[in-house]
Amino acid sequence: MNARVGFSIEVAALVIAFFVLWFLPDVTGDYWLQLGFRICIYLTLAHGWNLMAGSAGLVSLGTSCFVGLGAYVAVESLNGFGLPLPLVLVLCGVAGGLLAVLVSPALFRLRGLYFTVGTLALSELLRLLMVNVSTFGGATGLFLQEDPPALPVLFRYALVVAVVASAAITLCARTRVSVIFRAVRDDEDAAAQMGVRPFRVKLGAFVLASALGAAAGGIQAVKLGAIEPYGMFGLQWAIDVLSMVIIGGVGLRLGPLIGALFVVILGELLADYPEAHIAAAGLILIVLIRFAPHGIVGFAAHWLSLKLLKSLKRVPA
Amino acid sequence: MTESTTAPMLEVRGLVKRYGGLVAIDQVNLEFRPGTITGVIGPNGAGKSTLIGLIGGAIAPSAGMILLNGRDISRLPASERARAGIGRTYQIPRPFLDMSVAENLEVAQYSLAPFVPASVAREEREALLARTGLADVASLQARALPLLRRKRLEVARALALKPRVVLLDEVGAGLVDSEITELIALIHSLLDSNTAILIVEHVLRVVRECCARCMVLNFGKPLIEGPTAAILSSDQVAAVYLGTGGDRQTIVADTAQDAISTVHVGAPEAEASVLASLTAPVVASAGGVALLQLAGIRAGYGQARVLQGIDLTVETGQAIAILGANGAGKTTLARAITGAISPSAGTLLIGGQDVSGRAPHQIAKLGVAHCMEGRRIFPTLSVEENLRIAARNADAVAVRARLEAVYDLFPILADRRSQGGTAMSGGQQQMLAIGRALMARPKLVIFDEISLGLAPIVMDKLYEALALLKEERMTMIVIEQDVDRALALVDHVYVLEHGRIALSGTPKQIFADPRLRHIYIGAAEDAAPSKGLAHATC
Repeated sequence: MNARVGFSIEVAALVIAFFVLWFLPDVTGDYWLQLGFRICIYLTLAHGWNLMAGSAGLVSLGTSCFVGLGAYVAVESLNGFGLPLPLVLVLCGVAGGLLAVLVSPALFRLRGLYFTVGTLALSELLRLLMVNVSTFGGATGLFLQEDPPALPVLFRYALVVAVVASAAITLCARTRVSVIFRAVRDDEDAAAQMGVRPFRVKLGAFVLASALGAAAGGIQAVKLGAIEPYGMFGLQWAIDVLSMVIIGGVGLRLGPLIGALFVVILGELLADYPEAHIAAAGLILIVLIRFAPHGIVGFAAHWLSLKLLKSLKRVPA
Repeated sequence: MTESTTAPMLEVRGLVKRYGGLVAIDQVNLEFRPGTITGVIGPNGAGKSTLIGLIGGAIAPSAGMILLNGRDISRLPASERARAGIGRTYQIPRPFLDMSVAENLEVAQYSLAPFVPASVAREEREALLARTGLADVASLQARALPLLRRKRLEVARALALKPRVVLLDEVGAGLVDSEITELIALIHSLLDSNTAILIVEHVLRVVRECCARCMVLNFGKPLIEGPTAAILSSDQVAAVYLGTGGDRQTIVADTAQDAISTVHVGAPEAEASVLASLTAPVVASAGGVALLQLAGIRAGYGQARVLQGIDLTVETGQAIAILGANGAGKTTLARAITGAISPSAGTLLIGGQDVSGRAPHQIAKLGVAHCMEGRRIFPTLSVEENLRIAARNADAVAVRARLEAVYDLFPILADRRSQGGTAMSGGQQQMLAIGRALMARPKLVIFDEISLGLAPIVMDKLYEALALLKEERMTMIVIEQDVDRALALVDHVYVLEHGRIALSGTPKQIFADPRLRHIYIGAAEDAAPSKGLAHATC
């Protein structure tokens, strides 16, 4: 019963957020749209990362390989075939999912840290491939031949991608699928003994996260207009996303949202001092891991429940 | 039609499992027919749990076949075997700790039938929980369950698969008589004409009352197989399984009357002297300050108040036993003493110093060692590393001496010193856990349920070791299900009931006290007269 109420609340919140933000370009200027675009992209990536790490126990450093893949698929399909943008983004997602399926037999042989290193190797491998194959523009990368759409349009695309990601995560976290995910995360062997196929469950999380990541990479590439392998396959994507989820709260529903908002806004506030930005982000990460291992959301929930408990205790007295 | 009912549902042919040179399971053949319960018994380390792992799919066999309804499943992963209808329990429960009890069952339900209507799943779940006695804790986190509730959850999870073959690994360990009666009823209720059950069990009463046939496993080999009654009365089995000891009932009667002399028989004098390096020097307690003193200790987990005010004193050199039925608060008391949970009220004095609310490592530093329920061996460390880790602060010479003393106490650990800590049998792991507790050269050791799930002959060995320690004036608290063994060892006994001390006294007084039986056995009381009668006619 409770789960159903939670599900309805989440869906309602998502629908309201979508409609409110859809009209954001009508009321604000480019600065806020830029910010909103970035938050949407990061939220999508963070949702995917959180699903893998928080629900299936897969800690990935391969975010960039799917962002990069999406970027290249988007630019190639726009330049080569002139496909409409929505179809291109779907294609990016499909490509991301396919790559995940393709590499999973090898990657899932690795457990724990080895999986993490495996994903890192995969994104390095893809980057080197792009650098060395001239069809993909080599080290200089590719340019979008047409002009990219205006910022309000791009923002709305990014918003749709982020809302799709959030909806997919809601389905994973609020329905019966969630117990299966958590079972695999907590004790893969015991889960298998209960009929859960850990490989499929992990693959499901990996494919979904990869498809979302590639779609986000696709829209990001369209916005940039020019892509090159060092940026699109850079480790920075993985590190940004990982720190967002850790700051927000790994495995918690609101973790990616709060983390993405926090990191992007912090970056904005410290935009004039790039060194201070990195140092501040590092410091915050250290402090959070030491004192609030469940991130901002976990800390807030703990604090709130303590307050609630105290107020409840006060009532009968 | 008739053929399908008589054909074996699950068939094990020439099953072999080797770990390097060690043959854990050697040419085992078994047949399970629908509607039957088969027992597998044998001493610790005989390969019983390995057999369950092999059939359940957690362990891949080295050779042999496992046929489920004629289809070879020996190469299938555990998940496919579970889906094919094999449900197993783990000897040491492995619930999903952060999920509620109900969610633990949902995992099995939704992995088998992802689209089953929620109301149907809920009804099934509630029926299962009621059947396994977990209905009242359905929404509680599995982490909050005590060991025995977790064992029930293991059974419930296996049943949620609607299995055709149920493998039960030591589900009776640690239960008192009344609970065993319930368990036996539960096992019988699982059986229908489409189900086969395999029980691996030390509690022979379960085997005797459930299984039509049983097999004895020894060193991985089937020793003898046949009707349960014949097997259990066979001398060969008694020799393997129970050691050479005869009727334990009579030994118990003797030991309870004269605890110290019987336990020490056969213990070489030389061994005892080596142990001096493990026991902290007995300092004359100034002004008669007790080593450990609890006054009005209350403690619990969240909403559950377990200890309701415990007063207890342990003098240096004293051995005391904490007895009581499951859920009486024995382990919670141990946890309160060692600081694993902090008491909500009352004072805890160690050597006269108030340490209530201190962290476990601070209390450990004062010389309190805890040999925890469930052993808690570090799996990635070798036997010797497991031992050494408890003596990190001591100098090399002292560590060497203590290691020697532990190896002297348990020679098997010396042979296994470079093996992984959890690669040994349950009994050997328990020896390691005891040895590890001693390595800190504690002033006080708490032994929590050290005999749980072990064969009687192994229990004997452990208790012999404890008796030697006691002779060295080691101060100890023994928490035990096995009343007779505890009574034979200690100087003073406390019996807990519902978080309070219901009885206390010398073993002799407690043994003679009719209330003990009532507290401990409770609902099984009805069964007692008939048992007495059976004895009389023998």
